[in-house]
Amino acid sequence: MLVRSAQGLYWMSRYLERARRLCRLLQLQTESLVDRPIREIHFGWSRIYASVNRHPPAGRIELLGSDDYTLADSYTLAGDLTFERSNPDSVWSCFDQGRENARQIRQSISTPMWTQLNLAYLRLQELEMQDIWAISPEGFYAETVAQIDTFVGVAAATMYRGEGWRFMELGRFVERAQLLAALLLAQLDAEQHVEEASDADWAGLLRLCHAFEVYNRRYSVVVQPRQVLDLLVTDPRLPDSLGRSIDRATQEIEAIGPGPDPRSSGALQRLAGRIGGVIHYQWPDDDDCQGLLEQVRTHCYELHDRVTAAYFDYAIEDAPMS
Amino acid sequence: MDFDTYELDPSVYDEMLLPDGTPRDHCRTLYDALCRMSSEELSGVQERATRSFSHEGISFTVYGEAEAQERIIPIDCLPRLLSGADWRLIESGLTQRLTALNRFLEDVYNKARIVADGVIPADVIRSCPQYRIEMRGFSPPHGVWVAICGTDIVRTNDGFHVLEDNLRVPSGVSYMIANRKVIKSGLRRIYRGARVREVEHYGRLLQTTLRELAPAGRPDPCIALLTPGVYNAAFYEHMFLAGEIGAELVEGRDLVVNDGVVYMRTTTGLRRVDVIYRRIDDDFLDPLVFRPDSLLGVPGLLHACKRGSVSLVNAPGTGVADDKSVYAYVPDMIRYYLGEEPILANVETHLCRRPESLEYTLDNLERLVVKRVGESGGYGMLVGPHATPAERAAYAEELRANPADFIAQPTLALSRAPCLIDGRLEPRHVDLRPFVLNGRQTRVVPGAFCRVALRRGSLVVNSSQGGGGKDLWVLNN
Repeated sequence: MLVRSAQGLYWMSRYLERARRLCRLLQLQTESLVDRPIREIHFGWSRIYASVNRHPPAGRIELLGSDDYTLADSYTLAGDLTFERSNPDSVWSCFDQGRENARQIRQSISTPMWTQLNLAYLRLQELEMQDIWAISPEGFYAETVAQIDTFVGVAAATMYRGEGWRFMELGRFVERAQLLAALLLAQLDAEQHVEEASDADWAGLLRLCHAFEVYNRRYSVVVQPRQVLDLLVTDPRLPDSLGRSIDRATQEIEAIGPGPDPRSSGALQRLAGRIGGVIHYQWPDDDDCQGLLEQVRTHCYELHDRVTAAYFDYAIEDAPMS
Repeated sequence: MDFDTYELDPSVYDEMLLPDGTPRDHCRTLYDALCRMSSEELSGVQERATRSFSHEGISFTVYGEAEAQERIIPIDCLPRLLSGADWRLIESGLTQRLTALNRFLEDVYNKARIVADGVIPADVIRSCPQYRIEMRGFSPPHGVWVAICGTDIVRTNDGFHVLEDNLRVPSGVSYMIANRKVIKSGLRRIYRGARVREVEHYGRLLQTTLRELAPAGRPDPCIALLTPGVYNAAFYEHMFLAGEIGAELVEGRDLVVNDGVVYMRTTTGLRRVDVIYRRIDDDFLDPLVFRPDSLLGVPGLLHACKRGSVSLVNAPGTGVADDKSVYAYVPDMIRYYLGEEPILANVETHLCRRPESLEYTLDNLERLVVKRVGESGGYGMLVGPHATPAERAAYAEELRANPADFIAQPTLALSRAPCLIDGRLEPRHVDLRPFVLNGRQTRVVPGAFCRVALRRGSLVVNSSQGGGGKDLWVLNN
């Protein structure tokens, strides 16, 4: 497959996964505006900003005791993360980039995939922050997540399972792993900066990853941070878990096979194996969650560089010719 | 719908109605069906067609504003009908024309007999910026320089005329197919009864043509479509055609030339490319030979083409044959190479390089259309009757300064066809661009991209200048 097409699919998928995760975060955050204490709302915004590695527009989030201030601030923060064109990671920018990548490699995806993505993009073009805020912001985010999920479903139903599919899947799981590692670290970090940690913050994390019910069944209704982490990091059956994301990425790398340069390909496979090793073998017995997560996050960023080196950026002089 | 308020002008050919207001024979079925439909029904068809273009992202890019913008080509939902007899005339005329043009290109880059025999003056060729001296001595597979052409044809009360041969990178064929798809589904019952000839097999014919032009010894050629990229106005078409013919859609940066052979960069290494359907102008093809600042091209591509390891389609240098000055000589080429009389007429053309033509043009500016030789897409053109005296004066100035850069043609009364405008039927000027393919044999799909000047009274049909599209039905009668 053409390098540029593979890259386009990989990035399309990454941007949509990024948009999806951000919409999920914003959905739960805007839900919390209805009835949660100001401390929790504040915690939620700090965690979101830390997880996307961005500073809020005012530089930092002020914790003021009034509902009015909190709601006004929330509007600004949500706008910054949703429609802000100059924020490269806003929902709008992710859709714009995702669709632009798809447009460039449109012949590599199925027509229903393109139409679904284009419709979702056009819908976003017609909306503004005040429209969604006035009615139901959480409804807007839920619908946006549903549109991305529909895209993924349409892809699963219609796309040929060739190399293109594999690069698309690889992109999704590399992105998912990076985002979750960053989010879990943001949770641990934010917790150190608030006076009293709350169960609700951890429960929110479970909901975000569609793991709340599973957790209640497996452990108990009392939320224990370490158990939440165990579930979100290691459970191979949880679609959003770190372990599953890495396993899926590893499978796709194996299925794609070696790229033109055997050395880079070997390095990529070894790295994927190493991350899997940390999650599945080292994590269960180790108490230094933060240290291990930091290691995993660094490796996940490196994973992207290795993918690029193995398949996209190889030296032409040494490449095999056919 | 009714035609009660539909304006007929006896000096302009109407595609559907006779001067007395009754429908032409081949249009009767459509006419009757339209009369039975309500304005709302038809507007619904129009709306759904436009929406479907928007949803599928069938768009082109417009420049010159603050930023490049994606736009939909407006589509008019009423098809233009062409009788079987009219189509046979067009088809044979186009085949004849392209055969002569290919003979001309082979000749002009090799022995140049046509110049030696005094049919075309040497300076017309020499001064043509699209004449590529680098291509001298080159001969493409089967002598096919132009494998894909899209000829602009207009109709007046005197019949069909060729307005322009587009022999470089003609676009619009994807709209022929897209328009057909939405109009067919919007007017399903009328379509079924009308016995319309199909156009959807264009991709198959194109693939066959490209395979026939592969270098010798490459029986299962790898075909790539070379696009300038997503910011090009016709990117949708490039993407669409690549899918239709099963080609990789490549940009210059995807290709490398190694030892005179072209490869594309894949995730498993370099793969040889045999045929390149290029949608990039000559100027940008190869920075080593043409424009050194081109970032779109591939260094070494021209060398690979000339040594025959890859086929570039259309071949570089074909622009000399669709130059607006050389155009005037196409009827003579047909007589010279084929010994036949042209089936399709040219539009009377005055080459301003000739002093008597320049004088005539300056004296008659208010009646003429004046075009710049090197421009296309409706840019840099003066439509005399529609220009203000000040615009004409300014243009005359430029004409006097560089007469060789201009040609003049009479303002043609382009035929008109009924369009749905604000819920009413109104006539608008139209042209048509059929597409001819030439590999080992000539193939013409019975259809065309029909362009329509949607602004009332306007004669400019170019998509970049407010033109729209129509489906064109060639009837099987």
